[in-house]
This record gives sequence, C-alpha cells and structure tokens, in this order.
Amino acid sequence: MSIDAISLSGDLPTWAAVIAAVLFAASLALVAWELFRHRRRAIAVASTGLLATVLLAAAVFRPVRIASRATDVGPRVVLLIDRSLSMALPGDGATRKRTAASALRSLREAHRDARFSRLGFGRGAASAWDGPDDDLPTDQFHSDLAAAIASISEAADEKPSAVVVISDGRLDQPVAGTAAERLRATLGTIGAPIHTVSVATEAPNDASVRNVQTAGAAVAHQPIRLSVTVACTGELSCGAIPITVNELVESGTPLPLATGVANIVDGVGTVELPITLDRAGSRVVEIAIRAPVGDALPDNDRRLLTFDVTRDRVRILHIAGRPTYDVRAMRQWLKGDASLDVVAFFILRSLSDDVNAAPSELALIRFPVEELFSEHLPSFDAVVLQDFDAVPYGLAPFLPNVKKYVTEGGGLVMVGGLHGFSAGNYAGTPLESVLPVVLPNGTQRVIDTTPFVPRYTAAGRDTPVLEALRSLYGNRLPEMSGTNVLDVPREGTVVLWEHPTLTTTLGNPMPVLALGEHGNGRVVALSVDGTHKLAFSELAADTAGRGYGAFWDALLGWLMRDPRYEPARLELEAPCRAGAPTPLRVHSVPGLEGEVQLKLIPLGSKGPTRVIDAPPRNGRTSFTVELPPLDPGGYAVRLRVGEGPSTRHDFACERGGQEWADPRPDPEHLKAIAEATGGTSVSADEVDKLSFPSATPVASERQVSPLLPPWVWTLAAAIALGAHWITRRRAGLA
Amino acid sequence: MRLATAGVAVMLTALFLLLPRPVRAFGDEGAFHPRVLLVGNAKFEGPRTTAPARWAWELTRRTSAPARLAPTTVRADANALLTEPFAYWLGDRDVGTLTTRELVALRKFFSLGGVLFVDESDPAKGAFGKSARRELARVLPDTTPVPIGTDHVVFRSFYLLSRAVGRIEGPKNLEAIVRNGQTQVIFSSHDIAGALAQDRAGLPSFAVVPGGDEQREMATRVAVNIAMFVLCSNYKDDQVHAPFLMRRRARDR
Repeated sequence: MSIDAISLSGDLPTWAAVIAAVLFAASLALVAWELFRHRRRAIAVASTGLLATVLLAAAVFRPVRIASRATDVGPRVVLLIDRSLSMALPGDGATRKRTAASALRSLREAHRDARFSRLGFGRGAASAWDGPDDDLPTDQFHSDLAAAIASISEAADEKPSAVVVISDGRLDQPVAGTAAERLRATLGTIGAPIHTVSVATEAPNDASVRNVQTAGAAVAHQPIRLSVTVACTGELSCGAIPITVNELVESGTPLPLATGVANIVDGVGTVELPITLDRAGSRVVEIAIRAPVGDALPDNDRRLLTFDVTRDRVRILHIAGRPTYDVRAMRQWLKGDASLDVVAFFILRSLSDDVNAAPSELALIRFPVEELFSEHLPSFDAVVLQDFDAVPYGLAPFLPNVKKYVTEGGGLVMVGGLHGFSAGNYAGTPLESVLPVVLPNGTQRVIDTTPFVPRYTAAGRDTPVLEALRSLYGNRLPEMSGTNVLDVPREGTVVLWEHPTLTTTLGNPMPVLALGEHGNGRVVALSVDGTHKLAFSELAADTAGRGYGAFWDALLGWLMRDPRYEPARLELEAPCRAGAPTPLRVHSVPGLEGEVQLKLIPLGSKGPTRVIDAPPRNGRTSFTVELPPLDPGGYAVRLRVGEGPSTRHDFACERGGQEWADPRPDPEHLKAIAEATGGTSVSADEVDKLSFPSATPVASERQVSPLLPPWVWTLAAAIALGAHWITRRRAGLA
Repeated sequence: MRLATAGVAVMLTALFLLLPRPVRAFGDEGAFHPRVLLVGNAKFEGPRTTAPARWAWELTRRTSAPARLAPTTVRADANALLTEPFAYWLGDRDVGTLTTRELVALRKFFSLGGVLFVDESDPAKGAFGKSARRELARVLPDTTPVPIGTDHVVFRSFYLLSRAVGRIEGPKNLEAIVRNGQTQVIFSSHDIAGALAQDRAGLPSFAVVPGGDEQREMATRVAVNIAMFVLCSNYKDDQVHAPFLMRRRARDR
C-alpha cells in the first residue's frame, strides 16, 4: 500500500512556524482593513496582496511532498494447546486432540490476518512442538495452564494481543472452582484477554479410580491409610464397586494389601483402606476396581503408584543356635545401634542339656518358631540366622516361609558355625535356593577346620560395602579357625571374600562372604564364625574394635539398600508413560570399574526380563539410558557395574495416570477463565466467533521531496511583493 | 662354616614351626573360656586350679553354650589378653601393684568391651578383693563398684537366682563396675571357685557352708549365669523376655 501527502518542511521550529503564520494572517487582515477604508482599485490590491502573502508563506514553509509505503500487521495471538494425556480421550464424536486440531485449522481460516504462535502446555513453561496441527503430541501427565501463561508473560518476545487456550478444561492449575479474582491474579499477568476453546463437553460412560490419597508418608511396617475415590461418569450405572490393593513384586504374584467396596452415590464413592508396606525403598502399589459392563476406558480402572517407603527403625530378627563370642559381638553391635529394633532369640538349652533344675527355676522361654516364622516374619526387615540348626528347633517346616519372605523383599543373613549352612541341614531345602551359594549335600564334607585368613576378591576390593573395613585394615583380615564348606556361587552372586585354598566343585576358590539377590530380597552368606575378632582381638585393638561395626554396618546397609552401599543411584527423568521411551538417569559411584549391565524386570508377572543396552561410560559417572516403550505395569531396573553387587529401582508405568482418572471435560472451567480475563469462551466449532484486535498499518518506506526549490518560492514572493507595492501606489495607498 | 650356620637356621625354623600352637577347632573359636588372669609374678596353683575347667564343664553340661574344657591362664600384660573378651581373676591375697604394662593392657581389654570376673577366694580376710578393687580403680578411674541384685540380668541370664552364693553364703548381692551401660567387672565375695573346685577323685575340694550341696548347686548356677551373661550380654533384658520372667518371679515369691 502506498500513500502520497503534502506537508510543510520539517526543519522549521514550531515556534517560528506559529510566528510566521500569525504575521501572515495579520498582513492579510491589514490589507482587508485598508481596502475597507479605501476602496479604489480594491480588487487589484487585494489579489496582489493575497498572492504576495501566500508566496511569502510558501517561501518560509517550503512545502514538501511525502510518498510512503505501508503494511497491515495482524495481531499476535498465542494458541495455547493442552498437551496433557486427557486430550487423547474421547470427546464429542472424536478424540479431543482431533477436535483441537480441527479448531486450530478453523482459527487460522477465520482469522487470516492474525499472527498465530502455536504453543503447547503440560508441565512447566509453554513450549512449541514440531509437526502439523493434526499431530498434537499428548504426552504430558500434567496440564498446568498457570505455569504456561506465566512463562509467556515473562518471555522477552512481543506481547500477545490475545491468547487462545484449546483444552478439555481438565486442568491441574488453576484448579476448577477458583474464584474470578484469583483467576485474574494468576492469569492476568499476561495483559491480554484469554479466549478459551472447549474441545469436549460430554463425559464418556466410564468407571475409574478417580483419586488416591494417603495421609502422611509411607513408613515400613506402619499402617498407612489410603483414601480411594471411585467415580462413574456418563450414562454408566454403578452401584457397589470392589477395590483391590496389591503390591507388585518381582517374580511372584502381587501381594494383597487390602480389599474394599466403594458404594457409588451421585457418581462418586470413597473408601478408606489401611495398608502396610513392609519393605523400604520404591514400591509399586496397584489400586484396581472391577468396573461394571459398558466401561469405556479400561485403562483407568487401575492406578499404579510408586511409594517411596522410608524406615523408622530397621527391624531385625536375630536368631542364634548357641551363645558364643560371635553371637555376643553381633548382639552388642545390634543393640548398640539406636536405629535398629532387635528381636533376639538364642537357643540357650538343647534337648540333651541337663539343667539340673525345675523349669520354674530357669529363665528360659520357649522358642516361638511357629509364631515367628509364620505370623511375624514379614514384619522384620532382616533375619539373621547365626550358627543355627534348622531341624532340632522346628524351623525346617517354615523354611518355605523364609524363602517367600526373601522373595518378597526381606533381607537374610546366614552366619556360619557348627550349625550353619549344610551343617545346619539347609542343603536341599527351600532356603538353600535363596542363598547366594550352592550348599554341599550330606555326602560331602560340610565343615573344614583348617585355620585360614580369608582373601579379598577383586569385587571385594572395589565394592563400597567393604570400603569402610578396608579403610581401617587395608587387606588384612583376622585368622578364622575354620569354615562351613560352600559350593559354587549362584548366578548374579558377588563374592567379596574367598578361601585361599579350598575350592568349589568347579575348581574356583570357595566363597567365604557372598552377596546375592533373590526375588525382591537380598541375602548375605558368611561361612565363618570369627568376625567377632574384628571387635575383640589384637587386630581390633589397633582400631578400638571399630572394624566390626564398619563391617556389619555396611553389610546390613547393603541388605537394606542403603544408598551409601549401592553401586549407583537410578532415577527416571520423567514419569514412565506406557508406549513411550523413558529416560533413566544413572549416577554411578566414582571409581567403579567395569561394564554397566542393565536389566528390566516386570513386577507382579512372569514376563521376560529384558537386557537393556547401556551406552559406554567413557569415564562418566552420570549418563542417561533410554528404556524401551513399556506396557502399563510395575517394573524393576537392576544395574550392575562390572562384577560388583547390583542396585535396583522400582517404578510404575501408566497409560494415562491421573490425567485419565477423571475423564470428564470441564468447559465451565474454561468459561470461567475466559470471563475472568476478558476473553470469550467458545466450543471448537465456534472459533470464528472469537474476535481479535484489528491489523495495524506499519510504514515500511517513506520519501520526502520539495514541491519547488526554495529559491523559486523566494523569487516568486519577491516579485509578488513588488507587484503588490506598485498596485498600492497606483491605488493611492502607501 | 656358612653352610653349617644355614643348616642350624633351617633346623631352628623347623623346630619353631613344630612348636605346639593353640589350635582351636571350628566352632570353638567363640566358646566360653574362663581363662585365669595372672598379674605380677602370680601363679595359678592350689586346689582351685580345677575350678575353671569345672565351670566350663558345668556350662556345657547344662546349656547349649560351648566352652573350653581345658582353660588356660593369661597374663595381664600379654597380648593374648586381647584375644578373648573374658578373664577370670581370683585369689586369696593382695595382688600387689599393677605394672604400667598391665594397666595399659587391661585398659585396652576394657575399652574393647571385655568382661572381668573378680572372685575372692578368702572372703573372711578379703585381701584379694580389696586389692583388686584398688588396682582396678587405677585401670578404670572414675568408676566405682556398685551392688547388683536380682534386678540385674546376671541373676536371670539362665537360671532365675534370688541371691549370689559361693563356697560361703556371703552377701546377697554381687558388685559390678558399669561403664556406658555395660557391666564390665563383676565382683564376688563368695569364693565361687571354691565351690566349683574338685580334687582328682572328682570330690569337692572344699566344704560349702552353711548350705552344703544345695548351696554348691546354687554357686554353680551363679557361675553358669555369669558365663551366659558374658556370652549373651543383656539378652534376658529384652522386652520379649521381660514380661515372662517377671511373671515367673512373681509366682515364685
């Protein structure tokens, strides 16, 4: 577009122009007044006077011609599209994301002059995405509109003239029901009206676990109350809906934690379910309902939540087959640590002992093997079997329980002695299968009485588990008077100490101290009964006996998955979304050598374990591994560096998470947002009703040229003045 | 000449290697060992020398605890004092003044958590007990022996005992030095060794007064309880045992 205009020279100060204009007007007025009094040859005088005044004014003002070119610039409009997972749910005839894409197209067609910026919102700041409108990535577990608006407000870009939010209205922030003043305060910072486009109005026929709340943090062995809200939407008829709560564990059926029934009234029912998680660390809990027939979204019939279970105190069950100095050292260490809650049972009298006293004269109580190993076992974090024979004290029938306990996440320590390992009749029992080593059977030698000094393996020298002990004694260890004979380590076992001369049936050095994992639990096998020498001996005197605590603190810490003794820390960089890759961040302990081995294990099912390719570390201690797309469920990642002990992280993977828990759209919330910020709320097929500020012309080129050169105006003015003077003289004027 | 010297050296080395060493079988390493503590130039001799073995034998006969049936002695200034957490100090005369080496070694012994049982063999004179208290006050300054009665776990570590007795009836209580909540020295003024000692014929070396064989049995039970306390520490103080034992004591009153 081009524009032409006449203007005055721009170099004349305003005050000069005003004075000149006044003088010219006064001149004309004087001429008029003279002619009023003296009318001879009036026309000639007036015309020459007027001409002279005009030309003089032109000489002063020097008029110019302006030629300019201008462009119409449309208003900047930010299109803010909801990228949360709920946009993948069904809407009014199509999925909500498809309706959003349609609304985008309609907007662009209806407002061709607007300059649209397409951004998405989910968690945190608004962000652009590549790809066409039809390919809206609905991959966010959150829908935080407030954070997105704040990020646009704070950006250094051109401020938008309007914002159009395209969403189903099911937002995390601002929450539905927020007062208009509060909405204005939160969203009004952008300084432009926020229009809203609702992509759905009808709720699907669906039953779902709408919400799960817990009162306080999860602490091992302490009941925690789950408040589970179940809801039915649309036309689905719901009455009493059963709920089950299970913990997903490795290589086993889920552990039932609680069951209940939610009675649905007005579409909603809440039930309180107390659950107790016995194992610390990350635990995956499944909350599931049995939905009635006609349920549109089976995926939201269960929630998979990861609980970070902490410990108040570590509960230890210490069982010793006979009192010895080794038992004494263990007990004094256990009782000396205020963070440990110890329940101890020592066999003080065997059936062959002659106490020479009536039972009432004895301070002995019955060993409650049945109660301990059938009822109370899950309440312990770790069980220490020290020099304890399974058969005489009735433990043998309960060994399957001990195996189950370990499989489900319990810790087990077996310490050697005359009644340990094969000498304690554990060979061939269910308990043997959880030990990190194979035990020799009854036909083989089960005890070796040759004194020896255990030897560190390469893994023993590298592992953080024995770092504190080695910092006290280096590679020195006390002499042992003999050992229980152990056979080959099982797959995945880490041998930290080995025998200098004895070998397994495969010819390798016999394990003396071995760490292993079985199912969700961990097991320590120590074939000797002389570690008390780390507490009391000439060697121990050099360090005031601190070696014993350093040794057992670390072993128990490893058993309890204390991060200090783990080879690495694992964390998901983003929540796992079923069907999409999940980045896993690995922070390994500096100094650990060897290849990183990663395994992905499905929890609560017998699905196959997958080996994950880890990138070469190249000296890095932190790196990211991409887990493959997963089905909904619970998973454990196991990581091992070189031949050292492994570490593990449990996590849940959901298809929709909380975003699908409530599938109802909320157009009223969008309407409230629009009204509070001066915008308009429309449905997806009414986007042409939205109005934006009109386009602004912006000059892009401007050319200024004088109408005539200044000397022409001056010459003409001089001539006109001369003619006027002659005319006046002839008319008899001065 | 050089060859002869080398030959002698080899022979000496071989002889050294053949010298008898205290080899302990697997499982005996942590067995209760009532080794007798010797200080100064003291020797362990006389009729009570059989008492430690008898103590060990009674322990293995009555309980599941293993014990060394041929106890040894250990000198207070020897490194061997630090190989095990228990020592038995008995006598009937003044122990004299502990040397600096003995003081240092005993301090190390206690700092590692060792337990010492001090048994007066001649309660009538009390010279041993008095001097032992005096010297232990040098080893463990800022500590004082306190009476311990039936509230203490040593009175219920295996048998439920209503009082302490030995060769003589003596006071009802024992005495103890308690450090940081740990009972580390137990004093007896009852001559427990006298009650345990037997001659070669297996007969008691001393008469037990005034209770005779019944008192000897009770003295043996005191010894067994002390051994079980050493091995199990305060196990019988655990909450899981406390209500049961309190009920049994209340019933027996």
